Amino acid sequence: MFDVLGLWQGFQIAFSPVNLLWCFIGSVLGTAVGVLPGLGPAATIALLLPISMKMGSPVTAIILMSGIFYGAMYGGSTTSILLNIPGEAASVVTCIDGYQMAKKGRAGPALGVAAIGSFVAGTVGVIGLTAMAPPLAEAALKFGPPEYFSLTVLGLLLATYLAGESPLKGLMMAIFGLILGSVGLDPLSGAVRFAFGIPDLMSNVDFVTIAMGLFGVGEILISLESSEAASILTTKIKNVFPTIADLARSGWAMVRGSLIGFAVGILPGGGAVLSSLISYAVEKKVSKHPEEFGKGAIEGVAGPEAANNSAASSSFIPLLTLGIPGNASTAMIFAALLIQGVTPGPFLLKEHADVFWGVVASMYIGNVILVVLNLPLVGMWAQLLRVPYAFMAPLIMVLTLVGVYSVNNSVFDIWVMLIMGIFGYLARKLKFDLGPLLLAFVLGPIMERSLRQALLMSHGSFGIFFTRPISGALMATAILFVLYNLLTAWRKKQQGQAMAA
Amino acid sequence: MKSWQRYAGLFFLVVAAVVIQQSVWVLRLFDHGQPGSGFMPFGLGVIMAILALCLIASQRGPEEKRVPFWESKAWFHPLLAVIITCVYIIVFDDIGAITSVTVLVTGWLLFVEHKRVAVAAGTGLLTGLVVYLVFDRLLQTPFPRGILF
Repeated sequence: MFDVLGLWQGFQIAFSPVNLLWCFIGSVLGTAVGVLPGLGPAATIALLLPISMKMGSPVTAIILMSGIFYGAMYGGSTTSILLNIPGEAASVVTCIDGYQMAKKGRAGPALGVAAIGSFVAGTVGVIGLTAMAPPLAEAALKFGPPEYFSLTVLGLLLATYLAGESPLKGLMMAIFGLILGSVGLDPLSGAVRFAFGIPDLMSNVDFVTIAMGLFGVGEILISLESSEAASILTTKIKNVFPTIADLARSGWAMVRGSLIGFAVGILPGGGAVLSSLISYAVEKKVSKHPEEFGKGAIEGVAGPEAANNSAASSSFIPLLTLGIPGNASTAMIFAALLIQGVTPGPFLLKEHADVFWGVVASMYIGNVILVVLNLPLVGMWAQLLRVPYAFMAPLIMVLTLVGVYSVNNSVFDIWVMLIMGIFGYLARKLKFDLGPLLLAFVLGPIMERSLRQALLMSHGSFGIFFTRPISGALMATAILFVLYNLLTAWRKKQQGQAMAA
Repeated sequence: MKSWQRYAGLFFLVVAAVVIQQSVWVLRLFDHGQPGSGFMPFGLGVIMAILALCLIASQRGPEEKRVPFWESKAWFHPLLAVIITCVYIIVFDDIGAITSVTVLVTGWLLFVEHKRVAVAAGTGLLTGLVVYLVFDRLLQTPFPRGILF
């Protein structure tokens, strides 16, 4: 179950001075990104993709990006607790009780419990990743084209239904992402698709361009709409180390949150946001004092913060073992691996064991770095919130413009990025979730290749997706999932109509 | 808001129509009995059309009361930012990357964020310098030189 030798090799790689430095930089950047509202880990990883291409070593590049991803989970709680604004999406639940604790002069224990819960959960998540990933990768070797097609269909459906408010809009974004992914050269026949005579579109649209447009430029445009400056709670942050009583109340919440986050994080679309919501609901249910929730219950901070960190670790399992990213941030890491010439999936452990174990080991190290950064230095992070966004917005825009140009030295890419940025802005205004689009863009080529290869194997029969056991099980799950959601929606509509009548 | 959702549905319907047309007329649905390059896009186009029609249908009914679009100023700053960025891209090759970065940041801080000229210009120059040092010198990105070199 535990590949101790592999993990030892990973620690040797992760403890190299260069990798240790980039792990630290990633953790610091991730915390900063988590603290600052308006800039999420997905956008930051997108901004760093061009720089990661020049790093030379895939291990180092992924260590940096992973550090940003799980670092943001730590940092997000700071803004939630001090400003009542989630630093990033997964910390939205922490606002509910965290801010109330801060208003009562207990910002320190709230921040402390959030950091400790994140550390416990991060550790649980990484241990689970170490234990589960190798056997899962072994099982994934039995996957052929039909299984991969079925898995990508199920993954996209789950990501669409679980991640956003409206499954219909989520599905539309996913289909749009699949269509975008088919622009350019057809990998099987070499035919040029949807280029409309534009030479730059004859090679496929670059992932970095799409990602930086949607999550970089789009994010900036949305943030420019608001001219209100958030006022930071001026309470002095003292005693970040929680009391014994605080730990006694929040200990089991951390454990439950870790397990919930781990389970939910493996699901595509499950991720940090959903796991923190589920954790909050569970804590309120099992608490002896449910009336305290919403008024500063420490379990309402500990559980969700543990959940989102554990989910961040477990979301690497489908990415590294199956080659299926489950959310926008892991989709970026997936793309970064491809750019470095490393294909995530069941062969990653066999062909690039150094990358796999190096990243896993760096997550152990990063977890320690983050709790050291976040516990005693939380006051410093809080000062970051005083940096005027008026200056940050144009600087982030410069980073996206220059970064996307540096990939292919193409002005056309900058135009595409801007157009995608405007699209992302409008999509968010109309409550369309962008995550499914990006996931579909990444999974589209895998999906199409698997579909066409499977139909080649079966001489055109779609039955192959149902007659092979693993593929059949995945397809059945996908169909049942869709039917269940349709039934639930229909029942809600019936109940709504009955109440109105 | 419902009308905007219907416009979005219409947009995706047009996208679906284009995809279906291209898949059938330009690409091949089948190639020697096997799925061709237009096979999956055709399927996606059909699904997209159905979903777009569902979206349009779900937004029937009276429009909610809302502030007229031109009275709500929320879109103004994003529009300004887009215009300034378009100017950046247009002049990028002619005046060079570093100069256009300086112009972008200065213009942004002046017109979008309403900062004083000295602050805007100073930040613009500093940003240009940092971009030059990090991207041009350190990362060796082959930027267009333009008017500076």
